[in-house]
Amino acid sequence: MIDPRIDRLADLIVDYSLELEEGHVVRLDGFEVAAPFALALYRAALRAGGHPYTRISFSGLLEILLEHGSEEQLDYISPLQWDEIEHLDALVTIWSEANTRSLSRVDPVRHARLIGSQRKLSNRRWERISRGEMRWCGTLFPTQAHAQEAEMSLAEYEDFVFAACHVHEDDAAAHWRAVAVELEARARELASVRELRIVGPDTDLRLSVDGRSWLAADGHYNLPDGEVFTSPVETETEGEIRYTFPAIYHGREVEDVRLRFEEGRVVAAEAAHGDDYLRSLLDMDDGARTVGEVAFGLNYEIDRFTRNILFDEKIGGTMHLAVGSGFPQTGGQNTSGLHWDMICDLREDGEVYADGELVWKDGHFLAEPAVEIVESGVGG
Amino acid sequence: MADPRVERLAGVLVEYSTRVQPGDLVCIDAPLAGGPLISALYEKVLEAGGHPQLRADADGELEVLLKHGSDAQLEWVNPAGMNEVERADVRIAVEAETNTRGLTGIDPSRQALRARAREPLRKRYFERSAAGELRSVVTLYPTHATAQDAEMSLDQYEDFVYQAGLLDSEDPVSAWKALGERFARLAEWLGGKRELRVVGDGTDLTLGVEGRTWVPCDGHENFPDGEVFTGPEETSVHGTVRFTYPASFGGRRVSGIELEFEGGEVVRGRAERGEEFLQEMLALDEGARRAGEFSFGMNDAVREFTGHTLFDEKIGGTVHLALGASYPESGGKNESALHWDLVCDLRTGSEVYADGEVVYRDGRFLDGVL
Repeated sequence: MIDPRIDRLADLIVDYSLELEEGHVVRLDGFEVAAPFALALYRAALRAGGHPYTRISFSGLLEILLEHGSEEQLDYISPLQWDEIEHLDALVTIWSEANTRSLSRVDPVRHARLIGSQRKLSNRRWERISRGEMRWCGTLFPTQAHAQEAEMSLAEYEDFVFAACHVHEDDAAAHWRAVAVELEARARELASVRELRIVGPDTDLRLSVDGRSWLAADGHYNLPDGEVFTSPVETETEGEIRYTFPAIYHGREVEDVRLRFEEGRVVAAEAAHGDDYLRSLLDMDDGARTVGEVAFGLNYEIDRFTRNILFDEKIGGTMHLAVGSGFPQTGGQNTSGLHWDMICDLREDGEVYADGELVWKDGHFLAEPAVEIVESGVGG
Repeated sequence: MADPRVERLAGVLVEYSTRVQPGDLVCIDAPLAGGPLISALYEKVLEAGGHPQLRADADGELEVLLKHGSDAQLEWVNPAGMNEVERADVRIAVEAETNTRGLTGIDPSRQALRARAREPLRKRYFERSAAGELRSVVTLYPTHATAQDAEMSLDQYEDFVYQAGLLDSEDPVSAWKALGERFARLAEWLGGKRELRVVGDGTDLTLGVEGRTWVPCDGHENFPDGEVFTGPEETSVHGTVRFTYPASFGGRRVSGIELEFEGGEVVRGRAERGEEFLQEMLALDEGARRAGEFSFGMNDAVREFTGHTLFDEKIGGTVHLALGASYPESGGKNESALHWDLVCDLRTGSEVYADGEVVYRDGRFLDGVL
């Protein structure tokens, strides 16, 4: 029997995240390990009246390209790929892999080159997404490789993933609609805050968020989801932060990262393990030393670190601060090739002050946000 | 250990069949069951300087579409697919099935609806191939499913498949070139004939081939290969033909097919099994009742029926006739969403006459022809 949670997640993505309509063209991307889920999405999209098609990639091909491809081949984006982006109404990216470390030993320079060339395509995709011309959702179908990364059995990991997406119960969409209302209210409240101060073990950091807007991540672009985020004022971050969890970038881990900020920029950085990698990333470009994102992780179904940013950044009771590019839609101005989310666990010994007032302690906001009651019309 | 024949197959497909050049956009169309061949092809295309693009879908996708899709969804043609047909320099299609009968339970009229909607795609594909703008090859990667149809173990079936491709040879390309020369001579000779008559068990069929081109098939468009075909004159086919082997199309199998032609059209079609599907296909469109191809199977490494057209139609000593679309390069003008190859074994008690003279007996062209 097929796990009913798989179909529920597929329905949730098609109906809630993408709001797929009749006649919409939707492409479903993933590796072969995600093919059963791609098929579930296909079925859901067909049921919604869309025109779905899958684009399944095969584990190992990227490694062949990185090993044998010429520079011209690494840089190549086919005209088919360019045209296809223009025709899509929606896209689902299933991030599941057969081996999360298969690229550990590839030449980092060649890998960076490939990422750089692919970015041109993803930039165009984001342009269309941000203009509302197409919808996108990124998600994960549990595989052994990700379970292994999380140090769980596949069955345990499936429980973890599906609970995080809230598809372990009926009517997941109702849950996410309620989350959306709550996160929106939280984002509205935070919009009036000028300064945040984060206090925790070896951490005392001040960020200005004056004039910036906060966005609610409520299951439209990611599943699971559950955070509110903004881009802080680029020149005002001051103080120190110690990241509880290892910071991972393209599969490489840096442990126990400590950063000191002055006038918005990292002026001192150290790590217990992976120090060189940390420094090389911070030196990537001019914007790599500036905070591009500050966010509260608010998905309390996600209660542990699993070495996957899709989940880790949303752990309920954590905050994450990314160095590198910011989000223009929140008012962020920092640009960089880097966007590296690092997570700070505030669940045991953490406080956050908003304009001097304690608003968060030990992993929770002290007050519920004031939810605007919107009178529902006929049929609700 | 990886089967060295898989790598050899990939090499032949890239270097010989499709002659991938630096900068070529190469679409590799393959289900995931073709895994090891996909990886080998990907690497060979990169080595040749091409840009490989994998086109794979999830197993079972077509079944879901055919079962649950609305008419509009069945008739939808993905613009990305059309774009591919227009722009690819090379297409390598790999058949690698996990279940050859998975679509048996589908309403044939729904399959027909989809096939008709996709006809422009197929037509463009044929046109660009005939014009030499698109080099494309179809091959098969052996799986349990096709081994099962052949009533063999996977191991035995792999031997069969790779022998048919002459891949046990150190230099399969030279072997195919030598065969190609032989086929070219035969094609030239057949090109001077006006009429063929095929006589065998339950078969007496006459076809006009005057002015048509015979095409030698030496591993460029099919792999394995081995046939010489043409498109008969559309109104000329006359008589009766009984096909020896069951014929599969779109995941269904029909056996014991007998067709009667008059003025180029099937006027009566019968099948021992699957007749409903046969009738549905004959009624697909106007061109589906006409023969778009007539061909001699010439691969002597393929000796037995294995239930897969790619091999069955090449069995040395058979002929096949395809209902539906003809290939433009043969001079055939028939258009249809159908192209269904039906094979007739001529290895015993059979003769073929060319312009009234016996030229072929019991599966062999007579000495002096070749």
